[in-house]
Amino acid sequence: MIMRRLLLGAVLSAVLVPAALVPAPAWAESPARSPAKPYRIYMALWRGWEDAAQGFKDYFTNQNIPVELIIRDAGQDRAKLPEFVAEAKQLGVDLVFTWGTTVTVDMLGTYDKVDPAKHITDIPAVFAIVSQPVGAKVVPDLASSGRNIAGTSYLVPMDTQVNLLQSYRPVRKLGMVYNPLEKNSLVAADELRELGRKNGYELAVAPVDVVDGKPVVESIARKVRDLKQDGVDFLYIPPDTFLNVNRDVLTGAALAEKMPSFAAAENPVLSSKAMFGGVYRYYTVGQLTAYKAEQILVHKKAPADLPIDPPRRLSIIINMPVVRALEFYPPMGLLSLAEVVDNGAEVRQ
Amino acid sequence: MKSNALTGLREGAMRLDSSRSLLIRLLMLAVLVLVPPMVIGSYRALDNFKRGLGPEMDLKAAAIARDLVAQLERAVGFGIPVDKLVGVDEFFAQVLSANPEIRYLGITDAKGDILFLRGALSEQLNDAYRGRSGRALDDSGLKANIADFVDLALPVHVRDVPVAQVHVGFDQDYVAAQLFGIFYDIAVVLVVSLIIAFEVLLFVVVFNVSGPMKLVAEVVAHARRGDFTRVPGITSADEVGHFVRIFNSAMRQVDGAYRGLMAYIDEVRSGHFDREVAGQVSEIADRVRFLFRFHPSGAPLVLREKLSSDVRLPLFLFIFAEELSRAFMPLYAQALPSPAGWLLTPELLIALPIAVFMAGIAVGSLWAGAVTERLGSRKVFQFGLAPAVLGCVMSGLAHGVIELSLWRGIAGLGYALVTVACQSYISKTTVDSNRATGLGSYVGAVLTAAICGTVAGGVLAERIGFGPTFFVSTALILVSGWLLSHLLAVVDHGAPVAAPVPSGRPLLRIFANWRFTVLVLFAAIPAKMALTGYFFFLVPLTLWNSDHSLAELARIMVLYPLVMLAVSSQSTRLADQMGWRIGQVALGGLIGGAGILSMLAFDGTLPLVIGIVCLGVSHGMSASPQLAAIPDICWIECNRHGRTQVLALLRTLERVGSVIGPLLAAAFLLHWGVKGAVIGLGAVVLAMAAIFAMVAGAYGSGPHLETEEDVP
Repeated sequence: MIMRRLLLGAVLSAVLVPAALVPAPAWAESPARSPAKPYRIYMALWRGWEDAAQGFKDYFTNQNIPVELIIRDAGQDRAKLPEFVAEAKQLGVDLVFTWGTTVTVDMLGTYDKVDPAKHITDIPAVFAIVSQPVGAKVVPDLASSGRNIAGTSYLVPMDTQVNLLQSYRPVRKLGMVYNPLEKNSLVAADELRELGRKNGYELAVAPVDVVDGKPVVESIARKVRDLKQDGVDFLYIPPDTFLNVNRDVLTGAALAEKMPSFAAAENPVLSSKAMFGGVYRYYTVGQLTAYKAEQILVHKKAPADLPIDPPRRLSIIINMPVVRALEFYPPMGLLSLAEVVDNGAEVRQ
Repeated sequence: MKSNALTGLREGAMRLDSSRSLLIRLLMLAVLVLVPPMVIGSYRALDNFKRGLGPEMDLKAAAIARDLVAQLERAVGFGIPVDKLVGVDEFFAQVLSANPEIRYLGITDAKGDILFLRGALSEQLNDAYRGRSGRALDDSGLKANIADFVDLALPVHVRDVPVAQVHVGFDQDYVAAQLFGIFYDIAVVLVVSLIIAFEVLLFVVVFNVSGPMKLVAEVVAHARRGDFTRVPGITSADEVGHFVRIFNSAMRQVDGAYRGLMAYIDEVRSGHFDREVAGQVSEIADRVRFLFRFHPSGAPLVLREKLSSDVRLPLFLFIFAEELSRAFMPLYAQALPSPAGWLLTPELLIALPIAVFMAGIAVGSLWAGAVTERLGSRKVFQFGLAPAVLGCVMSGLAHGVIELSLWRGIAGLGYALVTVACQSYISKTTVDSNRATGLGSYVGAVLTAAICGTVAGGVLAERIGFGPTFFVSTALILVSGWLLSHLLAVVDHGAPVAAPVPSGRPLLRIFANWRFTVLVLFAAIPAKMALTGYFFFLVPLTLWNSDHSLAELARIMVLYPLVMLAVSSQSTRLADQMGWRIGQVALGGLIGGAGILSMLAFDGTLPLVIGIVCLGVSHGMSASPQLAAIPDICWIECNRHGRTQVLALLRTLERVGSVIGPLLAAAFLLHWGVKGAVIGLGAVVLAMAAIFAMVAGAYGSGPHLETEEDVP
């Protein structure tokens, strides 16, 4: 298995590396092509047009690279994805953009299971908003996909998150509510527990109730109460799809319990009542993904030569109405670095 | 006779040269020429600086205050009450550490009560702030003098309502302190350039004028007594050379007249038959021979006297070059990468270059003495120049501490060979009567070079870095080498005197002399330990750790040779008048140890300054009495082996202390930190000095030359 992968890698790089070493002269080709024929990019989205897609599009506008975007939204319906694959192939586009883990895995396959009939293989592709590119087997290694795709990661490394959390206030007992059916959250809990040993805090976890194989929304508020009674002084909100959907319930409950909360993704802070978060903004991630697309389309780089990395700039977002409601103020040093969400209104508890 | 020579040595050490009055006039001329333009120039520069610095400080304070106001207005605008701000202290600390001229930062509420303050005490500012409460500030703020501070207050507004004030304070005398530092630097540069100018003048005058004149005077003095065997061999093309040539032709004329006369007398004697006439002529010839002496070879001997002061300038340059790295050697070692762990702790590694350098000197001088006797000073000097240059240039290129130590050891070897060659040259070119002057010139060159080198090294290293400073040293060593080999080549070194090389074994019996052993163990060795362990190693480290610049560091360290120079001249006189040599050695040791221990009583830089001054007093007080006491307490050994041998042994033994000093300090540093190491070393030095002081009481008792009868 490993031998086969190595062999595959070797063969692929033998084919791709010369191409990378002798890049087509960009000045000769792109200006001649740009006015006449824009690059055609097929954008497969999961839940509509949002910031990452906007960032992706704006990058080309700002860089003056002519593109024709063919935008398709699955509307969180997995059944539509095979149609997208067929359409992209039939249109013969220059590049495919995939949004989210599900779209990416279904359209591009995993590195150990690629079927040219079901997946896109000949057209280069870039992916964004995949929380665990390695864990989901999209790529074997963040240094290189080893195949015809490139992409970006968007989750802040856990130790950076913990340092940021501690810089607001040193925490003694960190609480976490999560969906036990999502593997991401289990991994996050393990990492947090491990880091707690070094950073001097204790982790208390509260998985939401599961009935008939489905997480129960109504149990969220009770879980938060339990944590509060357990002496938790800070709530950690993992990048969990179930909790993202029900973020108002979760953050509302935390506010009711006067518990400050830290979110690993931007939505709970930007469009709900989490107190603060350290995230890579979707918009920035979209821009970085467009930069990878530019490397492939304009500069003729092989996708396998592009590493899968997050944006440089970490965004610290503080939700001021929540801060005021909790009267739990951020330190001046952190505040001077942070983006502040403040609509001027006071939140109700 | 012996004590006369010693007194001569001491008096001579004070006397630069017989051409002193000329030198003093020349020096005054140099001062007149150098000082006024420098003073006027620097005064103008300082005036501009002063006028520029004040407004500059105001602008900087205002810029910082505006930045803080902006940040505060943002935070307060988000609804954070001013008195509930979090992390203000850390926030201020960052700003303060980035702007060292700002003394404090503070926030007061609308009533003038202090909410946050860092860098000053609230008591210092409270009254002034409360006193002006209620006064509305406009956006340009309010500048006020509060105690020693200049306080700039700017208002913080939220929706046009003033809610707080930001205060930025700086020292009123910050500008004055800056100016003082610059004045001090200029003064130091001025003094160093005067000393160097003086050294060059001294060399020029002695080499070209007073030296040749002295030689002529010597020949004239001989001629007055009827001795026409020698003429001065001066060949310079200037007025002095011209004069000497005319003088010599007169001498040769006299010589020719004498030889003509003698030839005539011989002719008369052999050709005359009258015995009486022959007898009378012989008598006249005998009388002439009795009254006047001419060289038997048929022509007067050309006299090229070597002058001990010739080596002064090259020696000065050589020591100057070696001293350049004095103030920063441990810092350089600290900055180099070092192999971690194992037996060598980081502390030990920093001390290693100094210790190995000292060991190099110890080994080198042990060996150099014997080699010089056989080969002559010129060869030894040339031989020593190679390791000195190699060690110095490679020290500047070293990649690691171990490598640096190796090169320092080689440089130490060269140092020993060159200095021993110079010393032996001086003692060869002098006779008993003027040896004191010669040695005085040696000591003078070494001390002034130490003063100038330490200071100049600090300034240089700050401007061009550690490595390049070593290259400057190398260049100076090469210049000194060129001068020295040129000078030593002028005079042939004469027949190497086959001095009796004493076998070591009988000399070792000197340890049976308890006075000598105690002097070595409890006075000489701790003095060197304090010098290398404290002054060379711990002082630069401590000063550096407390944020002093290299130039400041050198400025503080130069106190040691300065104080030592001042004290030693006085104390030598005192010792002669009081005859209290051992007492001075004991007292000196105690002062040095106590000075180092002032670390116990004070904080900051003060104890180091006290320690350095005390060390200067201590060594100035005890160094020459310690040597002068040797002939008294080792009368027999001096008689048997020669005073030079005994002194050389003392010199070698005390270098054990030089090697131990930094290593011991490093061991203390590892366990107790910098302050603890200073105190530990001070305690060791003081304890040893105390033992010596107690035993010293017994030096005077008992038969003073107890074993005189045993002299074979």
